[in-house]
Amino acid sequence: MAELLLDSKIRFWVFLPLMAITFLVGIIKHYLFIFMSNDKIVEKQQLTDSQALLRSRLVRENGKYIPKESFMMRKNYFTNEETGFFVKQKRQNTVKNPMSDPGAMTEMLKGNFLNMIPMVVIGGWINWAYAGFLCTKVPFPLTFRFKPMLQKDVNLVSLDASWVSSASWYIINLFGLRSMYNLVLGENNAADQTKAMQDQMSGAALSMPDDISKAFKAENESLTITHHNWALKGVEQTFN
Amino acid sequence: MSLEDNQLTPETVNNWDDARKLLRNWRDGNIRMSKETLDLWTSLIAPSINKLGDEKWLVYEQVFLAALDCHVLTIAADCIAALKSQFPDSSRVKKLFGMHYEAIQGYDKAIDIYESILSGDETNAHVRKRIISCLKSQNKVKEYVSELNEYLKLFQADHEAWLELCDAYLNDMDFSKAAFCLEELILMYPHNHVYHQRYADIKYTQGNYDLAKSYYSYSLKLNPNNVRSLYGLLLTTANLKSSQKSKEGVDNAKLNAWAREQLDSKYQTVKADQNLMDSVNNLFQSLSISKAEKA
Repeated sequence: MAELLLDSKIRFWVFLPLMAITFLVGIIKHYLFIFMSNDKIVEKQQLTDSQALLRSRLVRENGKYIPKESFMMRKNYFTNEETGFFVKQKRQNTVKNPMSDPGAMTEMLKGNFLNMIPMVVIGGWINWAYAGFLCTKVPFPLTFRFKPMLQKDVNLVSLDASWVSSASWYIINLFGLRSMYNLVLGENNAADQTKAMQDQMSGAALSMPDDISKAFKAENESLTITHHNWALKGVEQTFN
Repeated sequence: MSLEDNQLTPETVNNWDDARKLLRNWRDGNIRMSKETLDLWTSLIAPSINKLGDEKWLVYEQVFLAALDCHVLTIAADCIAALKSQFPDSSRVKKLFGMHYEAIQGYDKAIDIYESILSGDETNAHVRKRIISCLKSQNKVKEYVSELNEYLKLFQADHEAWLELCDAYLNDMDFSKAAFCLEELILMYPHNHVYHQRYADIKYTQGNYDLAKSYYSYSLKLNPNNVRSLYGLLLTTANLKSSQKSKEGVDNAKLNAWAREQLDSKYQTVKADQNLMDSVNNLFQSLSISKAEKA
């Protein structure tokens, strides 16, 4: 097969500009993010609730290490049918709808805005302006299955799979410039795509349960059915 | 050549990079080496502070706190001036100003600053703790205890605060409340032998020897080298032995003998001098005499 030769203008007008554009957009995004983000203010009520849940879990798990009276005292504090912490607090907290909370709404919007808009706009523009070029070639042979990954927008069946198209080059840059950002912006910068992805995945699990009364009810039930089984019973028998 | 991170000590550090690493280790590990921090700062870091980049501000904060610890107010003033010009509105820097006032005993001003931070962010645990520590250093015991209680209502799972409250109640001889605090600590760290031992101490002081015996035993199970627990066990069993004549009395005698054996062997392994051995033996004797009398 005849060797394909790229016009050297492609280097100056497609290959390098794509790199520069992705890099600069990343930097702009980082500073926009710093500019727009504000510190998350934790609500006092929410904090108290989560701490209470934490403590109740500890009583449930490690209650066996304290004397029975002390355990019952704590259990009663949390689960008493009339005055228990979980019973009393339940009424105050209604189910919180994220849509009705403007603070959470704008936060969500900002996050999405900063991640999505550049992706869509810049991605679209790049697709429009640079579609259809071959930019570079990876210096090793690849199998046919890599073609859709490396040759987006170039639908040539007979083309060797190690050629990289401009749209794919953009995407490779988008994710591959991470260490460059680390170098320029310092660690934990906002331009890092992989971090945004991780946030999206684990963010929901880390934050407080939205429906605190449900969590209270569950905790109340599990604490109620927990019995005290003193772990120190007969511990002195282990000596002598 | 720079050393491995965990081998760095203040003595071996002689270049800028190692000093930076060491300061970072201390900062991340919450290690309070105030004197050493100041030494590193004046000898190595301060002349080329700008080489640190953004880490500079963290180092300024660290050195500021170290300077307050050592009461070197000139360095503290330098650090906080730099921080203030970089972050004029930061509540973290405001808190440092409060601590500066605390260091020169301007408690009212410090508390004013802390209150103003809290009015913006009422869940700031560090600032709440600072207020409590202000009250403590002024020896306002009542306010201190009640403020600590308020804090614990908000942060029920804060282990430091429970420990602090426990000490406060112990100073106040309020043993049942101190015991409650220690129970919380045991709940949080059930494998810490010191908490079990301290709980036993309190129970012993309250006269609840049975519980004390169990908790001393448990702390010994967790750490057989806890000499205080051994002594505690010795004393509780001696007391129990004299008060009961049932079968349990026999068990207690056995346990008592065991604890004594253990103590004996401990003293032998450390090769204590004769004076100490004599006094220990006297102590044992006086204990066994009191036992013999009652039995």
